Amino acid sequence: MLIFRKPLDVRDRPKMEADVVIVGGGPAGMACALRLSQLIDEYNAIHPDAPLSKENIYVLEKAREAGQHCLSGAVLDPRAMRELFPGFETEAPIEAKVHKESVHFLTESRHFKLPVTPPPLQDHGNYVISINRFVKWMAEKVEAAGITVFTGFAGSELLYDGNRVTGVRTDDKGVDKKNEKKSNFEPGYDIQAKVVILAEGTRGSLTKELIAKLDLARDANPQTYGVGVKELWELPPGRIAPGEVILTLGYPLTTKEYGGAGLYGGQNNIVSLAFVTGLDYQDPRLDPQRVLQEFKRHPFIAKLLEGGSMIRYGAKSLPYGGWWALPALAGDGFMITGDSAGFVNSARLKGIHLAMKSGMIAAETAFEALRKSDSSASTLGLYPKRIDQSWIKGELWKVRNFHQGFEKGLYAGLIHTALQQVTFGRGLHERYPSHFGHENLRQPAAFHVDGGPEAHLLGDAKGDGKLTFDKLTDLYHSGTKHEEDQPAHLVIHDTNICDTRCAKEFGNPCTHFCPANVYEMVEDATAPASTVSPKRISLNAANCVHCKTCDIMDPYQIITWVPPEGGGGPNYDGM
Amino acid sequence: MPDTILVIVEQHQGKLNRVSWETIAAAQAIAADTGWAVEAAVAGNDVAALAAEVAAKKLAKVYAIDSPQLERYTPDAFAAGLKHLITAKHPKLVLLPHTYQVRDFAPKLATQLDRCVISDCTGYKRDAGKLLFTRQMFQGKFSADVSFGSDAPWIATFQNGAFRGDKAEAGSATAPVESFAVNLDAAVRNQPEDWFKEAKQAVDLTQAEIIVSVGRGIKEQKNIELAQQLATALGGELAASRPICDNGWLPMDRQIGSSGQTVSPKLYLALGISGAIQHIVGMKGARAVVAINKDSEAPIFEIADVAVVGNLFDIVPPLIEEIKKAKAGS
Repeated sequence: MLIFRKPLDVRDRPKMEADVVIVGGGPAGMACALRLSQLIDEYNAIHPDAPLSKENIYVLEKAREAGQHCLSGAVLDPRAMRELFPGFETEAPIEAKVHKESVHFLTESRHFKLPVTPPPLQDHGNYVISINRFVKWMAEKVEAAGITVFTGFAGSELLYDGNRVTGVRTDDKGVDKKNEKKSNFEPGYDIQAKVVILAEGTRGSLTKELIAKLDLARDANPQTYGVGVKELWELPPGRIAPGEVILTLGYPLTTKEYGGAGLYGGQNNIVSLAFVTGLDYQDPRLDPQRVLQEFKRHPFIAKLLEGGSMIRYGAKSLPYGGWWALPALAGDGFMITGDSAGFVNSARLKGIHLAMKSGMIAAETAFEALRKSDSSASTLGLYPKRIDQSWIKGELWKVRNFHQGFEKGLYAGLIHTALQQVTFGRGLHERYPSHFGHENLRQPAAFHVDGGPEAHLLGDAKGDGKLTFDKLTDLYHSGTKHEEDQPAHLVIHDTNICDTRCAKEFGNPCTHFCPANVYEMVEDATAPASTVSPKRISLNAANCVHCKTCDIMDPYQIITWVPPEGGGGPNYDGM
Repeated sequence: MPDTILVIVEQHQGKLNRVSWETIAAAQAIAADTGWAVEAAVAGNDVAALAAEVAAKKLAKVYAIDSPQLERYTPDAFAAGLKHLITAKHPKLVLLPHTYQVRDFAPKLATQLDRCVISDCTGYKRDAGKLLFTRQMFQGKFSADVSFGSDAPWIATFQNGAFRGDKAEAGSATAPVESFAVNLDAAVRNQPEDWFKEAKQAVDLTQAEIIVSVGRGIKEQKNIELAQQLATALGGELAASRPICDNGWLPMDRQIGSSGQTVSPKLYLALGISGAIQHIVGMKGARAVVAINKDSEAPIFEIADVAVVGNLFDIVPPLIEEIKKAKAGS
């Protein structure tokens, strides 16, 4: 019997008052906190008699340490950082300046280097970074500025007064598997905040709930996602120089799936290797972790990796619906930033700089709200207006139809991209529609039993232990860890659907798309003989790496990812 | 009469809980700041000797709350007994150590006095004549200073280690002990059971020389018995991989692997364990590994010294018989 996490009924929860609460300490949240601190410092320099306090500004971060749940390629476009922190290059952890880049198209056994790198993929002047180290450094700056970062505390619920967001409840700690209090039970805090800034990252759980409650996405395209599965490798010297970027299209994906890979050279022969698979594939047996393994077996890649060793693993989804998929970004008491909103430029494969910039603009708006003592939609509504006037829109508008062009496959996508290039992003229509990726899943009956042209993408990766790895071995290298005695945080609203309908119709794609082996169909020895399905869903919740793929890709949309007890999760040191 | 601070010391079966000295030290520190007097009380049956021990400290008085009903701890009796004393003596501040027992009865005591408790304090401050108590929030990332909004008596508990017990000052003379007999017959509804004792030391697999470990291949909970028989025959301990403990078929303290224990026995018998790296890291230090698994490609075989490909239900029962025979023969 699966028991799922839910906030407990607690009388008299401890309460705290706050001016601003930022939910999530990633690039958006940290940039937001830093910008807010700067504005307050500037104000206090002019108004020494009536200074504003930073004491009641808090960042909530579910990881045990800042940056531990951050995963990206990563190449940083420094534009936002230069505005926020001129000269950051001298002290921030940067692996290398990009000095060499190439794009390759892979067939099953060959590779073709594109004669020129398409302009959106040109990375000269950008930096290869470890987002984990970079965010850790930002957190130090935030704390040095006098803003408190609560690591190990997740936002578990939003507090409302009608449709106004009035605060955040943090996670209950010390709850056992059966949702009962353990001896170390500590109820979550109710933090009453004038302004709540959501910076939860991709598919934020509070953001999702808020968007649904207030119907914030009614005018937006459905958000579309990919999942990036990443390994960090240590290679023999001389293979990939610090600052070298190699991007690939094509194999192992067929023309039906969207995605591609990036290899980024860092310091000390550490290379980041990530494969992003669009979460709009059709065959429910497809496994993104398998896709990465097959990619590494391509001769071009295998040769680069030969003799190296895999040192870390992780996965994270990313939103790539672009401009048209942004929800309403602000309302009474709240603003939505970064990946939670969907600020990603999918043509450039970049979002960190947009996340930072959105956080900074949210900070400027929050500052105004504090000054005016008005955090209603009339003040916070300035945030989307400022986004419109900023370079964020300038950048995203040009690629507003990019990803939608690929909904019908790679070739159609390339044609649409070419058309959009010469029409300033418009292409054939002013606004290309999009569709939820999970709606693309087809029942296995529609495919060859053996998988046909996609056979190498389906089912579990075996792994040779050197170049390729089975999922559990990869997972071990994510360092993920959770308190084991807690209710499952992957909330399945109706497990009957898993055991019966989904087993029959889709063959339980969760057991394939989850890059952490959380979902498993197990023999049910206790089931009565009359039961239709001999298997039932079982969760290895402690394996979860917080990528949110299940929440996005489950065909019945019955999985809700909620934060587990704060502090649990992957350990993305150096990722 | 000056205002007083009353410290409730804790005893169990005639022995003082050392943390009581910390609470006395706390009271003495507050008294030094406020000029209040410090008194102490010990509750139990026939506690005169304990009261005398406490009276060696620098205290104005020690109360020995005596009642047969206090012989064995019950929340009803302790709350009622202390309520009698507090209503009779009107202390300004009542201090207790933040022990499990205090956690159990202090809310009841406070409710009966129509007061609240500031619990688990790590220190105190005096601010403009006001007494503030420091409590940790957000798992120690913050501390909050809290004061009482109500009239005395105020009740507060101090965290273990907040004050140093060896700083509790001895008195120049023994403090007077006042016997305070209470009749609690009407108050006590609880029937105490025997004092809880940990039945057995939790199993320490790291010390086991022989471990029989089961994985998912065991199929059903009732088959665990088979592995237990093998472990018993070998004189070893029973352990498991994560799915088994996750299902609740064996307790968590028998789990081997990255989220469980790390062991290095002389012999490790893996029954139906596939050998994912998460399990291997917990047992790869074993001197000899015998693995039984029906999947010949199971990764456990890569590290096994003896690899048996086959159904464990066919192999284990005769194995147990053979071991028994061998042992009987020797």
